[in-house]
Amino acid sequence: MPTKRHAASTTSATPSTPTTPTPKPLSSGPATLKTNASAAEIAQHVWQQYATTTPQRTLLLDAFMAFLVLVGGLQFLYCVLAGNYPFNAFLSGFSAAVGQFVLTASLRMQTSDSGATSKPSSKGKNARFADEQGEEQRTGYSHERAFADYIFGSLILHFFCINFIN
Amino acid sequence: MRWCLALLVCCFLAAVNALSSSGSRLLAVLEDTEQKSVYSTLWADLEARGYDVSIESPKSEQLSLFKHGERAYDHLLILPPKSKGLGPSLTPKHILDFMNKDGNILLALSGKSPTSSAVSSLLLELDIHLANDRSAVVVDHFNYDTLSAAEKHDVLVLQRPGPLRPDVKAFFDGEGVLALPRVAPQTLGSDSTLLAPVLKAPATAYSYNPKEEMPAADDILATGSQLNIVSAMQARNSARFTVLGSVEALEDKWFSASVKTPSGEKTTTVNREFAKQLTGWAFKETGVLKVNKVEHHLATEGAELNPSIYRIKNETVYNIEVSEYVFDKWVPFEVPGEDELQLEFTMLSPFHRLNLEPTSRTETGTVFSTKFITPDQHGIFSFRVNYKRPFFTNIEEKHEVTVRHFAHDEYPRSWAISGGWVWIAGLWSVIGGFLAFVVVWLYSAPVADKVKKTQ
Repeated sequence: MPTKRHAASTTSATPSTPTTPTPKPLSSGPATLKTNASAAEIAQHVWQQYATTTPQRTLLLDAFMAFLVLVGGLQFLYCVLAGNYPFNAFLSGFSAAVGQFVLTASLRMQTSDSGATSKPSSKGKNARFADEQGEEQRTGYSHERAFADYIFGSLILHFFCINFIN
Repeated sequence: MRWCLALLVCCFLAAVNALSSSGSRLLAVLEDTEQKSVYSTLWADLEARGYDVSIESPKSEQLSLFKHGERAYDHLLILPPKSKGLGPSLTPKHILDFMNKDGNILLALSGKSPTSSAVSSLLLELDIHLANDRSAVVVDHFNYDTLSAAEKHDVLVLQRPGPLRPDVKAFFDGEGVLALPRVAPQTLGSDSTLLAPVLKAPATAYSYNPKEEMPAADDILATGSQLNIVSAMQARNSARFTVLGSVEALEDKWFSASVKTPSGEKTTTVNREFAKQLTGWAFKETGVLKVNKVEHHLATEGAELNPSIYRIKNETVYNIEVSEYVFDKWVPFEVPGEDELQLEFTMLSPFHRLNLEPTSRTETGTVFSTKFITPDQHGIFSFRVNYKRPFFTNIEEKHEVTVRHFAHDEYPRSWAISGGWVWIAGLWSVIGGFLAFVVVWLYSAPVADKVKKTQ
């Protein structure tokens, strides 16, 4: 069912952005995925889709978020296994990872909106966005503004965490 | 003004001359003043030890235990009256008031004549009970003096008592035998911690009224070592009340009489020595404890002495110097055998109860000390030493201190605790990752943008 809709949406999207290099593999995507594909094949397909269609900045964001999940998970695991003394260090280290993750997620939301135009599969209303891309840029924040907010928020978070870890 | 000063100096002089730790004015109440000569050695011994002995008849008009609301005497020695009471100035209430004002009392009884009802009711106030008919004597068919009581067996010949318990100091022990003629037995109430037996009757003794033909079996209140010949009561204010069952033991003729037990050989009694021990204890010449000084401070070098505030988990040192009075001088106090002097660090209930160890010794006192870590609980605490033992005066020291919690800058830094290194590493890896991300983001920016812009 999702594959079908995906295929339908991609076919409708392809004419709108024929010059962009990214949609190219996308158009070849549905061709490789059969209707009765196995779970591994679906997963591999989704991964390929993701790797090929996502802009480099968003990929970078995702990699950083994965790193934060890893760091936070390790800290929590250590707390569970080795006890929570000194507790303030645990709170500080763990909340730094969580807070950074939240901030990075916010940045991703603000900056990958434009990516939706180049990733037409996200919503059905992509056609409207594709047509009025300039308007979308005006109503939301610019990437520079979002990135500056992100830096500012992160610095506050780091300041508090370093102080709290004592 | 000048005479006032002179009086003060006189008082100080009197205090200096006094050998007892609590004054030298001794009132001996003797009904028949002609009997004074019977106890002449006792009076001489007491005066030689520094007492100011005044002998009065209980019937005397001017006899009063109090003067201007204060004690007129420091100690009271009551010899048994033959009449019914001790007179209007020595009612049980007066005598208890005298004790409440720290006066010491030695009360002698005699089995020769019935004990007066006034004395009996006084003893009842202190939970010391006399035999019902009040004219009983202690008889022992195994430990009697064959020379003077071959028929009646009512002159007991006993060893001097050892320690009451292994953890109680023996004040009345020693070599030699005591002769105790015609003892009026006492029994002690079982639920008073202030009472202690000094000398118990031997297991073979029993109480017997010589005026009755046969003792009724169901009348017997106590036998054997349940009967006390000498008993002591020390009130909460450390005033002492001693009951001696046999007043005749203090007479001159028994001080160095020759006695012979059925099994033993002829020996001389040590009543005189025992009388010294007994009067010495009763009038606070022995068994008096004094706290010279109390010091507490942090265990660090050069810490402030007796601070009013401590922090939780501080290592603290507590020192207390205790002296014991022995007849005429203060000597270093030694805790008896199996006993311990203990310190409590308490807030409502003790958080620590620690044994104090003797660490050093001055000329007159032993310094007991201990070292401990204040509990992980802030509040108003007190250092308490509460030492209440039979035959010793009470020590009750209480010093209040505040125990505060850690100040914000007194906690150990995270890096000082190895357990926190993982989280420190986690925090800095997040920050490092953030910086790397920012750099890569800025470098990766133009390409994607340019594509978009061109488009």
